Amino acid sequence: MRPFAHFAPGSLDEAVEIFRREGEGGRPLAGGTDLVVQLKEGGHKFPYPRYLVSLRRLPELRALEWRDGQGLLLGAGLTMAEVARAEAVRGRYSALADGAGLVGSLQTMNMATVGGNVCNAAPSADTAPPLLALEASARIVGPEGERLVPLEEFWLGPGQTALRHGEVLVEFLLPPPMPRSASIYRRHTPRQQMDIAVVGVAVAVALDEAGRTLRKVRIALGAVAPTPMRARRAEAALEGQAPTDEAIARAAALAREEARPISDLRGSAAFRRHLVGVMTERLLREAIERARRS
Amino acid sequence: MARETTARPQFRHVGRPVDRIDATGKVTGKTVYGDDLRLPRLLHVKLVHAPLAHARIRRIDASKALAVPGVEAVITAADLPPHHVNPDARAQVLLARDEVLFYGQPVAAVLARDPYTAAYARDLVEVEYEELPAVVDPLEAMREDAPLARTAAIREADRSEEQGHITVEAEQQQAQSRPSNVSSTITFRRGDVEAGFAEADAVVEGTWRSAMVHQSYIEPHVIVADYDASGELSIWSSTQAPFHVRHEVARTLGLPEARVRVTATEVGGGFGGKIYLYEPLVAALAMCVRRPVKLAMSRKEDMLAATPAPQAVVQLKAGMKADGTLVALQARVVYDSGAFPGAPVLPGCLLIGGSYKCPNLDIQGFEVLTNKVSVGALRAPGAPHVAFALESAMDMLAQRLELDPLEVRLKNAVEKGDPLPSGQPYPAIGLKECLEAIARTDIWRERHRSRQRPNRGVGLAVGGWLGGLQPASATVGLNADGTINVTVGAADITGTNTSFAQIAAEELNVPLEMVSVVTGDTRTAPYAGMSAGSKTTYTVGRAVKLAAEDARQQILAIASQRLEVPVEELEMEDGVVRARGQPEKQVTFRELGRLTTGFGARYAPIVGRGAITARRQAPGFTAQVAEVEVDPDTGEVTVLRYAVAQDVGFAINPKSVEGQMQGGAAQGLGIALFEEMVYDEKGRLLNPNLLDYRLPTARDVPPIEAIIVEVPSEEGPYGARIVGEPSIVPGPAAVANAVADAVGARVFEAPITPERVLRALGKLQD
Amino acid sequence: MPKRVISLTVNGSSYEVAVEPWWTLLYTVREELGLTGSKEGCGTGDCGACSMLLDGRLVTSCIVLAVEADGCQVTTIEGLAQGGQLHPVQQAFVEKGAVQCGYCIPGMVMAAYDLLRRNPRPTLEDVRLGLAGNLCRCTGYTKIYEAVLAAAERLRGDGGKG
Repeated sequence: MRPFAHFAPGSLDEAVEIFRREGEGGRPLAGGTDLVVQLKEGGHKFPYPRYLVSLRRLPELRALEWRDGQGLLLGAGLTMAEVARAEAVRGRYSALADGAGLVGSLQTMNMATVGGNVCNAAPSADTAPPLLALEASARIVGPEGERLVPLEEFWLGPGQTALRHGEVLVEFLLPPPMPRSASIYRRHTPRQQMDIAVVGVAVAVALDEAGRTLRKVRIALGAVAPTPMRARRAEAALEGQAPTDEAIARAAALAREEARPISDLRGSAAFRRHLVGVMTERLLREAIERARRS
Repeated sequence: MARETTARPQFRHVGRPVDRIDATGKVTGKTVYGDDLRLPRLLHVKLVHAPLAHARIRRIDASKALAVPGVEAVITAADLPPHHVNPDARAQVLLARDEVLFYGQPVAAVLARDPYTAAYARDLVEVEYEELPAVVDPLEAMREDAPLARTAAIREADRSEEQGHITVEAEQQQAQSRPSNVSSTITFRRGDVEAGFAEADAVVEGTWRSAMVHQSYIEPHVIVADYDASGELSIWSSTQAPFHVRHEVARTLGLPEARVRVTATEVGGGFGGKIYLYEPLVAALAMCVRRPVKLAMSRKEDMLAATPAPQAVVQLKAGMKADGTLVALQARVVYDSGAFPGAPVLPGCLLIGGSYKCPNLDIQGFEVLTNKVSVGALRAPGAPHVAFALESAMDMLAQRLELDPLEVRLKNAVEKGDPLPSGQPYPAIGLKECLEAIARTDIWRERHRSRQRPNRGVGLAVGGWLGGLQPASATVGLNADGTINVTVGAADITGTNTSFAQIAAEELNVPLEMVSVVTGDTRTAPYAGMSAGSKTTYTVGRAVKLAAEDARQQILAIASQRLEVPVEELEMEDGVVRARGQPEKQVTFRELGRLTTGFGARYAPIVGRGAITARRQAPGFTAQVAEVEVDPDTGEVTVLRYAVAQDVGFAINPKSVEGQMQGGAAQGLGIALFEEMVYDEKGRLLNPNLLDYRLPTARDVPPIEAIIVEVPSEEGPYGARIVGEPSIVPGPAAVANAVADAVGARVFEAPITPERVLRALGKLQD
Repeated sequence: MPKRVISLTVNGSSYEVAVEPWWTLLYTVREELGLTGSKEGCGTGDCGACSMLLDGRLVTSCIVLAVEADGCQVTTIEGLAQGGQLHPVQQAFVEKGAVQCGYCIPGMVMAAYDLLRRNPRPTLEDVRLGLAGNLCRCTGYTKIYEAVLAAAERLRGDGGKG
């Protein structure tokens, strides 16, 4: 790695102040499982940083708080291991627990943070489709104050986010789930573990009181477009419908069409498209079944 | 899980499962590997790797790199001390001088006080290249109009290392006259294949492709060298072949071997990929700066610029009669050697015709040069590629003729006396016994029941390896306190030093704790060949046995004089020599130790000597079976159960032998399902890392049942034969056969990825 | 910029080390503290050979910056054996033949140690999951599974149940 300076602030205010003072060329450092590898191997999609600002000690990034009527506050600094294990996440936002638990080895999960995963902005990020399907927003704090950004507006391209210089993603807000709802995230990888997702799919569904129609359907896809994306046409086709096999199959086919994968080292476009169809169908079935039982 | 071997009452140590003597150091982190060595004023080397697959070097400007504080030198080919350059031998092109032949080829070396500084400075070295056309695909490279991978034709290919892996008398023809990327060919013929096919009731054919695969030892290459004022060159290398390294380095640098000392540091995995590569370069760098230098390659550098196994394209046509007799085999085997010759065409072509009796053979092999990193040995080099084709074809034939795949193999399996394609007859071998062992496994016996579950299948495959032959020697000495020292020159890659302790303790009838085994360096140890070609126990073990026997004779001779009892009436047990029937007449090893080493000692020190030549091979065969489940919609293949049976002649340490079998089988699974080095159309390696070059993890490999089969060899110690290599061979074929059994579709390309399974099932529309 | 001095407690001993911000924890432990038991197999967190405990969590130290470990407790392979006695996990690896070339072993033993602390009654599937971040190229894993399960039994004091 080439030289850089490193700062270890003890509070969010201190962190923001460092960015303001030092100017251009700084990056926040959370778990480092993406950033450090990129600095070593050269895969960074931004200019090599002059300085890093560690977020490790910031207490403001460690929230894990359920508020009735408002939903879950989830600190960006929580590790994948913490998110995967947290009852508050597994109980109501299981897709996110799924994603956090799939990110890589145990070693990776112990260091990587959900905020880092989101801010690294790989199209294949495993917490991204769940956060999209769960309609999360990001609370961002910077030198100009704070703002709330829905995650659909957060990713601008591979490695590109809406974060401006000096801003830190502090926490996620996940709205309260509807009754009779369920969410799941799965991904396809060549090995059982340790790989980047070739395709990732998250679904979140809610049934009406009687269990006869789908009040809400959210389908989010990873690794099949420049950013994580929602399959909106598929969602629209299924929402309000009875969850029959045909309706599910139709939605899966639409999701397959909406995906815009490229062919690369990890899979061809045709293969990815095929998987989107297969996985969307499977996950919809499973989520609907779970929603029924909840 | 592995089965217990039955105890052998006639032996005290050999044949029993013993803890590896080096295990405690390894589990505590005490064992010293190359990168753990600390030398004063050590300089760290980072190589500049060419970013083009084929180019002329116009200019190298190191000024910016040299300006970095902590950088001591930047060396290019022009700065190296005079040395023997052979442009056709990979290890004798220390740094590319005029022509870059593969992406990642080293063109300069930066030497600095710490590795971070060296890496930083490395990026500041400016090299001007003139890009040349690169040829990347081996079949493309064989065409008449293909660009040439090298501007000058091969004149002096160096195939000396190959004989250490597989010793066979057969001639590889250097391709002549017209410049071409085909650098050598080989042909084996027997009988009349056309007549054979006419006779056959079923004929199958296909083209099987195997990807380029990396040894992926967890420890990347690491070499330390020091050249001092008196002209002594010291090399510490993670190598399987210290004597070979000494010989080659001395030859290349024009030094006498007696002034070159090579120490094999503990090897963190070799698999044939750590024989001899960068030692001459690192030694030359030490000579330039007259300070110790260390090259510790990163994973990326190792994947770019070491010596992986070749990709291969095997066209095979096979014919069989309705009663299951194999009557004709016709094969065209192409190995992509990368930028330098050295592909395993010979073993591949031998072994494709080496598993089954077959009266009519027509085998043609081609070694093709391309602008990719040049290849080297990887555990049974060349064999998995041809087994993939042959064993798939056997299953296709069995299916076509409605015969049992195991019975069909038993029917045709080679036995003692059957000829290899080269004509040489097999000695005693155990292929049939391995098949019979697999037939008795639960996996095989339950296969019909397994198949009733949807998308589950069972597949079987066999393979073998001939093994290398090299001379070996050893010494066994009695210390002043009666303990025993065994000294060998063979690097302990697979636990062989533990086996040598067992052998020496067996011959001297002492507890294992009284014996210590050490691998000396090339100045202090007696010669041994490379620890490769599966022959370390087979050759060095014999030498240790002889040396221990010699030591025993010397001990008895002295004891006989001391006790005034004829040698025939003496017994030796637990470090005591006593007269049979007169237990009061005894002398201990400790007393003998004093008598042979103290001041004014009456007797000469006891140094047992063993030296052997190995003239006869003891080939090892293996049969393996896989049970898999395939997801027909995603193409994912899960290996549920796996068993490997291998004939090892006599397992000196069954625990070690099982570990070798399981390890090799797991590598076979890696090649079968995940591993592939991917080059783009410009010859750039796209996945030089362990994220996108996928080694199987614990979640991918089920517990592997290891069944030791023992058909004694004629020459090995206690009947042992080669051990290390055969187990990697059948993996890809066993998996392909199991997948075909599970979902009715056959994949002809390894690794058998989910995408390839889906394509075979016709499920992907492009 | 001058180096930063950080505090590390490694295997129970306190150290003050001057480090560059871009040095990894692995490099610092190996080069500055001389604890060369942890190995670099890939440098990118993909093989697990560098695994150690950082404040009780298993991490791949080759991608942890040393400055990020300031003030932390670190346990490396050298910290397992106590008073010359092998830890039961280490002992089981020796006895079950789970050690071949040994390069993956320090990281693998740390991962096994971590697994058994969190889950004293692992099934085979738990073991395979717990070790999925540690690559081994020599053993094919089978004897490693056996070693971890045997160590679990021994640590529980079971005669053979569990």
